[in-house]
Amino acid sequence: MYNTKMLTPEDMAERGEDFNDVLDDWFIESLKTYKDLHVYQLEHPTQVIEWTSGKTVCVAGYSSSKNEILELQLPLKLFADENKGLCAERDFKVVHGGFTDGPVRCLRHVPGTRCVVTNDGLTSDLQVWTVGGDDSDVIRRTGSVAGRKRRRTDSEGGSRIAARCSTQVLHGAQSDDIQLTHLTSGQILYTPEITSSDPLSSLQFVSDDVFLAGCCNGNIYLTDTRTSASPQLSPAPASPGESVLWWTDAAAGVSSGSVVRLSSSGRAVISDLRNLGAAVSQAQLSVQSRRCNPDDVTVSWAPALPGCIAVSGFSGVVQIYNTSVWGVELQEVQPLFGHRGHAVSSLPEEGDVFITSHAWHPERPRTLLSAASDGSVHVWDWVDQSASDR
Amino acid sequence: MPEIKVTPLGAGQDVGRSCILVSIGGKNIMLDCGMHMGYNDDRRFPDFSYITQSGRLTEFLDCVIISHFHLDHCGALPFMSEMVGYDGPIYMTHPTKAICPILLEDFRKITVDKKGETNFFTSQMIKDCMKKVVPLNLHQTVQVDDELEIKAYYAGHVLGAAMVQIKVGSESVVYTGDYNMTPDRHLGAAWMDKCRPDVLISESTYATTIRDSKRCRERDFLKKVHESIERGGKVLIPVFALGRAQELCILLETFWERMNLKAPIYFSTGLTEKANHYYKLFITWTNQKIRKTFVQRNMFEFKHIKAFDRSYADNPGPMVVFATPGMLHAGQSLQIFKKWAGNEKNMVIMPGYCVQGTIGHKILNGQRKLEMEGRSTLEVKLQVEYMSFSAHADAKGIMQLIRMAEPRSVLLVHGEAVKMEFLKGKIEQEFSIDCHMPANGETATVLTNPSVPVDISLKLLKREMALGGPLPDPKKPRTMHGTLIMKDNSLKLVSSEQALKELGLNEHQLRFTCRVQLQDQKPEPETLSRVYTHLRSVLKGSSVQLLPDGTVMVESILIKVSSSPEDPDTKTLLLSWSYQDEDLGSFLSSLLKKGLPAALC
Repeated sequence: MYNTKMLTPEDMAERGEDFNDVLDDWFIESLKTYKDLHVYQLEHPTQVIEWTSGKTVCVAGYSSSKNEILELQLPLKLFADENKGLCAERDFKVVHGGFTDGPVRCLRHVPGTRCVVTNDGLTSDLQVWTVGGDDSDVIRRTGSVAGRKRRRTDSEGGSRIAARCSTQVLHGAQSDDIQLTHLTSGQILYTPEITSSDPLSSLQFVSDDVFLAGCCNGNIYLTDTRTSASPQLSPAPASPGESVLWWTDAAAGVSSGSVVRLSSSGRAVISDLRNLGAAVSQAQLSVQSRRCNPDDVTVSWAPALPGCIAVSGFSGVVQIYNTSVWGVELQEVQPLFGHRGHAVSSLPEEGDVFITSHAWHPERPRTLLSAASDGSVHVWDWVDQSASDR
Repeated sequence: MPEIKVTPLGAGQDVGRSCILVSIGGKNIMLDCGMHMGYNDDRRFPDFSYITQSGRLTEFLDCVIISHFHLDHCGALPFMSEMVGYDGPIYMTHPTKAICPILLEDFRKITVDKKGETNFFTSQMIKDCMKKVVPLNLHQTVQVDDELEIKAYYAGHVLGAAMVQIKVGSESVVYTGDYNMTPDRHLGAAWMDKCRPDVLISESTYATTIRDSKRCRERDFLKKVHESIERGGKVLIPVFALGRAQELCILLETFWERMNLKAPIYFSTGLTEKANHYYKLFITWTNQKIRKTFVQRNMFEFKHIKAFDRSYADNPGPMVVFATPGMLHAGQSLQIFKKWAGNEKNMVIMPGYCVQGTIGHKILNGQRKLEMEGRSTLEVKLQVEYMSFSAHADAKGIMQLIRMAEPRSVLLVHGEAVKMEFLKGKIEQEFSIDCHMPANGETATVLTNPSVPVDISLKLLKREMALGGPLPDPKKPRTMHGTLIMKDNSLKLVSSEQALKELGLNEHQLRFTCRVQLQDQKPEPETLSRVYTHLRSVLKGSSVQLLPDGTVMVESILIKVSSSPEDPDTKTLLLSWSYQDEDLGSFLSSLLKKGLPAALC
């Protein structure tokens, strides 16, 4: 009936060979370091991850010709908190899909609507899409918004887009062509008085009427759309001898009021929105500095974890830092957590994999999505090992 | 235009019951005959009234094909064959034939004994039904009759699952059943050659999902087992089919070795018997990597996994036990469950779907108090985990299969049209083929343009070639003359003479004659020569000849001149032609009736 012969190491090796590739160090470690972990492979990589509701995100391809925009519903298991064990649903559901004629470099959801706005990075014009409801699963192009005419025909990065209310969209590729446009009529509602033309790396509303324009050279313009006064300029932190790119993010959730500036050399500077010129704290992140494009790096405040930021784009790892322990003096810091899943799971023939985008869940404190250049998309809920709440 | 008709049977938009009717080349085939597990009344059976309002189905169906042993694909088979009535052949692969009756009997027992239903098929009906089964081997063409042939392809998904190609003449349909395109550990990936069917029929259920990786599912499994063991709990894993249990065993064994864990893992005896049964099936069924992985290694030589004895269930401390049956409806797994259910440190991991009426189904629906025999209640305090390991194709997989088989069109069943528009657009765009999506009960018609191959005789071919002109081209058809002979199942194109000879008929010649009277004083030879000259100038394209015997010949038309001694000024032209030159002949007679032009010197 049953044979209790002892197995030789060779037997064990042969037996385990298929499974040892699964049970690598990262995998074993992940049993303790993640509450939830989901790994997906899209047909084509995405550079955008944008929430369209608490349970759905939009992703889109960036190849030079035709691409797909997809609205994906996150796995039900992730949200089934009390009855998690009874839910076996681990898959993404493609709830809506559409086709674009060019790459999608920036994608923004218009709050309160079923519309998303995209930019292809080739011109400063925006494409407007309607994501179908229950009656259709097709994402259709329903309009466009013209960008401001610029003297130059080529630009480093495409337009950045921000949306706060359901009828207007804020966009621009450079500091001198930012405009607030009415979505349906195309009427230009506001343009800030900015004369320098610095390529933008971010555009973000910090309140209904105030927005922040982060430039690649590190300048930040804080603009109030209710006044006609010129926007406040906060220049880049001094970085002598370095020619770096800068990215900016203003916190909206629990860390509201804080602004982070991150350079391509890995230097992060924290300021307060009311006094952007002064650095509250700063740190040298442990990232490999690399030649970047403005689209490559993403830095974002956690909506529900005070003082935490996520950084990606320098490699195949997404790093979480706790800025509340940083000091005023520039010092090297270690991340609170690093998601190495993309780097570890990539196939050798893919070469070096880079994170193309990440996004925090708007409410769940430690849940993030990340996407990489090999088409992988991960959803993960990490465990804070430093906290003694186990 | 010839057409293929496909009708998914069933009412409404409900997924969960596969039964598709296909009409192709005058043949009717039923693909799968599943039970809908969510209903308790007649809605769980496919709606056979589409085929015939009353009476047996035998004369309406040429065959039935079952893709795999899951109940939503074969659960209604005994009902269909024994209670509605069908005596024709039922095709399925060898493993499906071996496993189906076991699942059907389990299902019957649960439904009748546990749920107390009466209008259900009996054990004898299952046996009678299986007697009608004709087993299939992979990649082997089976002649159902003179015209209908079928072939099974490897589908992955579960042991014995097949995709089927159905062919009548040059029209064909491929039905995928359930399949997966990424290789599993104990099942390979689906594979098909470029068979270019007219229609590829596929389930749309998973076409709009993107699957979480196998690695993450395994991670979740190991994490849950490990957490339970660490807190001193016991883990029960009820399993049915060997493949999955075997895979989980090897995964745990490798993990135990890696983590240097000491808690015992057990494998119940019922499982060992079933395992031997399936072991033999694996050998005959597939020669892929699976055999190397599972068959060449001795199935039960584990370092950390031992045989279970029922007394071990009472041992203190953590342990993991694999036991049958899979839905906790009877036997050893239920016994162990009863012992362990009251302790919240313990865990039960359900690796698959459970039928209504079973304990498995109840606990997966959140029930925490169970009524057992003898009116006793069981409090369910242990942790219940539902994990799905089944391998299904997803959105990417369906595109891969289309790329592999190169169908002329795709047909998706069991989906809501409004939820499939994007996928339809994607398929149409990428492959430039039509994508149909009939609702349940609705018939989709696919027009086909079958080419009918015909043999041509060498003589006829040479003759046509000798006529010159451009070579035959599929885009530029050319008219040719010949006779089509249909004998037995072959079609032959031969020349008329050969046809007459083969048929033993005499050839008849048909000639027309006509007399035209002309007023002409010249002597006959001169008249003749004038006719010749006239015709030559008029009929520039045709061959006009003056023969030494005094005949003008135009193509095959012969013209002679004669006169009677009584009336030398009246010349009679005698025209004679064969039926092939009828048009020209009529033309000439009309022409000559008008008379000859003024005398030429």
